Amino acid sequence: MKLIHLPHIPKQTQIIETVAEIWSEWRRQKLPLYLFLGLCFNLVLAPAVFAATGGEFSRTQAYWLAALGLVTIALAIYLFFVMFVPEKF
Amino acid sequence: MLQGWIQIALTLLIVVAITPFLGGYMARVFQEQRTILDPILNPVERVLYSLAGVQAKENMTGWQYARAIVYANIAMALLLFLIIMSQGWLPLNPTGIGAPTWDTALHTTISFITNTNQQHYSGETYMSYASQMLGLGYHMFTSAATGLAVGIAFIRGLTGRPLGNFYVDLIRGITRILLPISIVGAIVLIASGVPETLAGAAIVPTLENPALSQAIARGPVAHYEIIKQLGENGGGFFAINSAHPFENPNPFTNLIQIVGMVTIPTSLIYTYGVFANNRKQAWLVYGMVFVIYVVFIGVTAIGEYQGNPAVNALLGGQAPNLEGKEVRFGWAQSALFAATTTGTMCGAVNSLHDSFMPNGGFVTLSNMFLQIIWGGQGTGTAYLFAYLILAVFVTGLMVGRTPEFLGRKIEKREVVLASFLILLVHPIAILIPGAIALAFPDQLAGISNPGFHGLSQVIYEYTSAAANNGSGFEGLADSQPSPLAIANGTATSATALWWNLSTCFSLLAGRFVPIGALLLLADSMSRKQPVPMTTGTLRTDTGLFTGVTAGTILILGALTFFPILALGPISEAFQIARGIG
Amino acid sequence: MQTPQDSTRPSRLSTPSGSRESRRHTPKADMRGLYQRAIHDSFVKLDPRTEAKNPVMFVVWVGTIVTFLVTIDPNLFGTVQADPGQQRLLNGVITFILFFTLVFANFAEAVAEGRGKAQADALRSTRSDTVARKLLADGSVQEVSSTALRKGDRVKVVAGDMIPADGEVVTGVAAVDESAITGESAPVLKQPGTDIASSVTGGTRILSDELIINVTSDPGQGFIDRMIALVEGAERSKTPNEIALTVLLSVLTLVFLIVVATVSPLANYVQAPTTIAILVSLLVALIPTTIGGLLSAIGIAGMDRVAQFNVIATSGRAVEACGDVGTLVLDKTGTITLGNRLADEFIPVNGHSLEEMSQICLAASVFDETPEGRSIVWLAEKNGAEVDFKTDDAEGLEFSARTRMSGTNLPDGREARKGAVDAIRGFVRSRGGKVPSQLDEAYERVSRLGGTPLAACLNDDIYGVIYLKDIVKPGLRERFDQLRRMGVKTIMLTGDNRITASVIAQEAGVDDFIAEATPEDKIDVIRKEQSEGKLVAMTGDGTNDAPALAQANVGVAMNSGTQAAKEAANMVDLDSDPTKLIDLVTIGKQLLITRGALTTFSIANDIAKYFAIIPTIFAAAGIGALNIMGLKSPQSAIISALIYNALIIPALIPLALKGVQFRPLTADQLLRRNILIYGVGGVVAPFIAIKIIDLIIPFS
Repeated sequence: MKLIHLPHIPKQTQIIETVAEIWSEWRRQKLPLYLFLGLCFNLVLAPAVFAATGGEFSRTQAYWLAALGLVTIALAIYLFFVMFVPEKF
Repeated sequence: MLQGWIQIALTLLIVVAITPFLGGYMARVFQEQRTILDPILNPVERVLYSLAGVQAKENMTGWQYARAIVYANIAMALLLFLIIMSQGWLPLNPTGIGAPTWDTALHTTISFITNTNQQHYSGETYMSYASQMLGLGYHMFTSAATGLAVGIAFIRGLTGRPLGNFYVDLIRGITRILLPISIVGAIVLIASGVPETLAGAAIVPTLENPALSQAIARGPVAHYEIIKQLGENGGGFFAINSAHPFENPNPFTNLIQIVGMVTIPTSLIYTYGVFANNRKQAWLVYGMVFVIYVVFIGVTAIGEYQGNPAVNALLGGQAPNLEGKEVRFGWAQSALFAATTTGTMCGAVNSLHDSFMPNGGFVTLSNMFLQIIWGGQGTGTAYLFAYLILAVFVTGLMVGRTPEFLGRKIEKREVVLASFLILLVHPIAILIPGAIALAFPDQLAGISNPGFHGLSQVIYEYTSAAANNGSGFEGLADSQPSPLAIANGTATSATALWWNLSTCFSLLAGRFVPIGALLLLADSMSRKQPVPMTTGTLRTDTGLFTGVTAGTILILGALTFFPILALGPISEAFQIARGIG
Repeated sequence: MQTPQDSTRPSRLSTPSGSRESRRHTPKADMRGLYQRAIHDSFVKLDPRTEAKNPVMFVVWVGTIVTFLVTIDPNLFGTVQADPGQQRLLNGVITFILFFTLVFANFAEAVAEGRGKAQADALRSTRSDTVARKLLADGSVQEVSSTALRKGDRVKVVAGDMIPADGEVVTGVAAVDESAITGESAPVLKQPGTDIASSVTGGTRILSDELIINVTSDPGQGFIDRMIALVEGAERSKTPNEIALTVLLSVLTLVFLIVVATVSPLANYVQAPTTIAILVSLLVALIPTTIGGLLSAIGIAGMDRVAQFNVIATSGRAVEACGDVGTLVLDKTGTITLGNRLADEFIPVNGHSLEEMSQICLAASVFDETPEGRSIVWLAEKNGAEVDFKTDDAEGLEFSARTRMSGTNLPDGREARKGAVDAIRGFVRSRGGKVPSQLDEAYERVSRLGGTPLAACLNDDIYGVIYLKDIVKPGLRERFDQLRRMGVKTIMLTGDNRITASVIAQEAGVDDFIAEATPEDKIDVIRKEQSEGKLVAMTGDGTNDAPALAQANVGVAMNSGTQAAKEAANMVDLDSDPTKLIDLVTIGKQLLITRGALTTFSIANDIAKYFAIIPTIFAAAGIGALNIMGLKSPQSAIISALIYNALIIPALIPLALKGVQFRPLTADQLLRRNILIYGVGGVVAPFIAIKIIDLIIPFS
């Protein structure tokens, strides 16, 4: 049997590097981050929609409906933004 | 039938005849020219200014003006809230009325400071004389004068003058315009049979059985009544408002009430003409609004005159729809009153709007959506000219120049403010809470009618709040339920809480956001250097442009609210026509 | 101040607009492959980051994603009653149409950009990287790339070289071929010191000799570079009116977003539920996609149009300002008049007939090559005069400042002379002749008319007075009338005396004039007009014009002008044609009108779309009677409205690119006309179009 030395420490730094890279990439690219956060927030919102509609929709439908609501609100905020700083568009 | 139309025509004739006189007078008042009341009022005002520490000659910027309005309104709102909550301990409470719930008090406070007077309470059973006179009656003057001040400041800005001083405008509006007319009007109303007393309810034996007695509510009605109409407040002393025989006993008082509520907004357009030194434009715009107004009155009146086909079928002949109307006013005066009160954001009612045919529902809703068929005290005229600015922008590019209004260029800032104010505030304040209420009709809304009519009820309530009108389609569980009803479980206060709080949002959004935007718009217009008129300038005082403005108003208004009208009154009209209703 | 290069013999006169048409040829843009590239680009532009720049179309983009999701699973946002297969088909068709709405809008922009790019490439071809001989401080020459040149550097160019950058001639005299930018094939002489001929433009070629040039712009900062950026749309910043319009469009979009988002609970309440795909369709139909999709194309096309006129604009703002111009300040010479006085009339005196006088004038002018002399010949020949001597045997005398006359010594010894009246008077007296009193009358008459009188004589006999007149360019009067109707005031500036100025002003039809004007007067008149709230446009070429060009809201410098003038102006006319200012006003107005017209059209369209969609999707609410178009079914109604909505964008691309036809009418007439076409037309057209589409499509 041959002993395989796992390069422990380098791997750890590699993971840290990867995380740091993803993190820095996220800090640079705001959009995916916001999308991700939005989807996470939707996980909280969906049960509320599910409860409010009283079983009229399935869980999946409630999730997508909540997502649609969020998209609508995001669009509204975006349009408000355009309205006040139209020079940027 | 002819009699009814003659009544309507005569009333309108009186309104038009008053316009140049009152309009010219208001222009004199706000241009600080000599008026007839100067010898009496000048010393009074001087004392008031020195007491309040107001520098009368100091002009305000748009921001300063708006801030002054907000501060003054917050202070007055706190005072009103305290008066209402403590009315149980205050004097002038002969019937011993206790404090209403906090949400009713809050809603009432906001409703009165916003010149809306949407009432989720019955005046005679929930408000003491102290609250009615010192609290609500006081705000009927200040909120109306605030609107008037905004209208005047807007006109000043549009015509390139400094905006003026809010406190001075407020005081002059009250002392020179609202108070004098109210004093004369109240005396006329008393002479025509409206009560004015501090005595409590009269306890009298009933006619049917003299052994039993009934309490007949009364109070200081006459003076309250005139400012309710004149200031386009609309908050009745009694729950049923101007339909009550003590508020509006006969056709003569009805005439005074109609003329009273429409006269300041109509005249203010003329005041603009004096300020702009362009009476032609004032009359053209006046004529445009007048035409829409007359068409709306006609639509309502025809609907009421023809009556309900379902009822007519049972009667075997055509009869006017008199459900929810006072017979002493009949279909014509009820229709005229309804079209006027919703058009002018007065909100007083002499008949139940809920019982109108769908035509009436369509007109009253459209009136409040547009907000310019005369419109609110001061603000209505300002909205009208904001619409003009928007029409200039949309169509003005087509003459190949940066659009101008009165020689002032309409640029980004003006478009942001005007479109925000005209197009955006209203849908947000009406449709969003309306959609939430209708999504949960049972939990929140407590609607008495299902289907299209129920939808109209909900939308009407928010529209009335957002337009600062205050009339109700009624039929919603929006009032504070009586303790008895809560005790025996037939009502809960949950729906009242929802209505009170959600309409508070619409009330505030519909009042102060537009006022702020109007003042900033006026401010930026007043700072612009005017461009001289040439043949390349789009003239705004032509029949053509007035027609274009009318089209713009109707298209933009219709585009926003057509789906609502389609699902509400229009659907209902088709339903009735098919004979299902 | 104006070089008399525009001077021509009267017989060759053509209208300014006519000559401009023929001059609109350079730089030639290569339009091949434009559409293939535009189609490719319109798909590339589907990138959300690009779409987010256009608020209206971004909402459509999000809507397309949503309808795509419900095409995959119709029950995604709630269980739909209808048959899922049919539902999927409907949603699929909606997604397809929305997708193409986006592509069409992108296509409009891509075509406009493509045309701009082609224009820019043509401009850029004049900017190819060249090797420049840079003069170092010690006098030695270093070979550097033209892109490495900086402001203040000195370069040496010799015959055959491409001039590497915009600059000012310091030393040397040389002929330069500027056809690359002006299209004028005749070489131009460049030399230092002179106001006009000392500035050179990068990309032009030196034909002879050598020049030392002081570089006046950094690479990428020259006029051509700025124009390239502008027509390409790359650095296109929005113009003020475009910004205001963007606000209005985003507010309208927001309003409809709120309306459509809230209509769902309302519809559910009255038991007339709709699906998400239909709500998205309603939203897309209502938001102003037509103008939203075409807005940027209109702007780019406007800049492009300016470039086609051979004018370089440094900002879109300046082009838009042209439409708002209220006052044009114009130099008389070269702009209003041809720049030379031409013979207008012969006034015979001394009992001579017109024919006799013409004969003498012709004889005195056959050798005169000046424009004045040519015009006298032309007028004399028109009067029937002929040369009745052998010109080879005759001797011509040139005009000199000393004699102040010119003429011809005929073969038979007679002396025909023409010149200043005083000089001729002296000449006649010296020959023993008499001066008739009629001469003074004629002299005064001509002076009163603002003309220049010349006298003509043969030996001791005065034949008459030649009326030399400043000739107003043909067609200008009509254009000034048009400008007046558009509300644009014209002010003429001239160094002439009041009388002459007022005659020319009246003849040209300008509204106002300033006689004996100095360059300071130019600034004063601009300031005065601006203090009245007017936007002022002017042209100029000299260094002393620079302050006025900077002060004016629209300053157009002539390409033949000095570097200082070009720096101060916000536009440069490559053809150096001052009357082009009038065309620029038209272009600016056309740009605004096109935007306004399409906005009105777009909003007016909504009425028909409402009447198509609302009654059918809320059919359950019993408002089917509002379906006044009698559309087949709810599905057909929605799809017809959406197809119309999508197709109207490509249908209007030509209009957006070409611009609404501009007519010089008053504002009221323009409003009436455009409201009728785009307002009323915008209400009516979609009713017809949607009905036709409904009849064609096989959807039931």
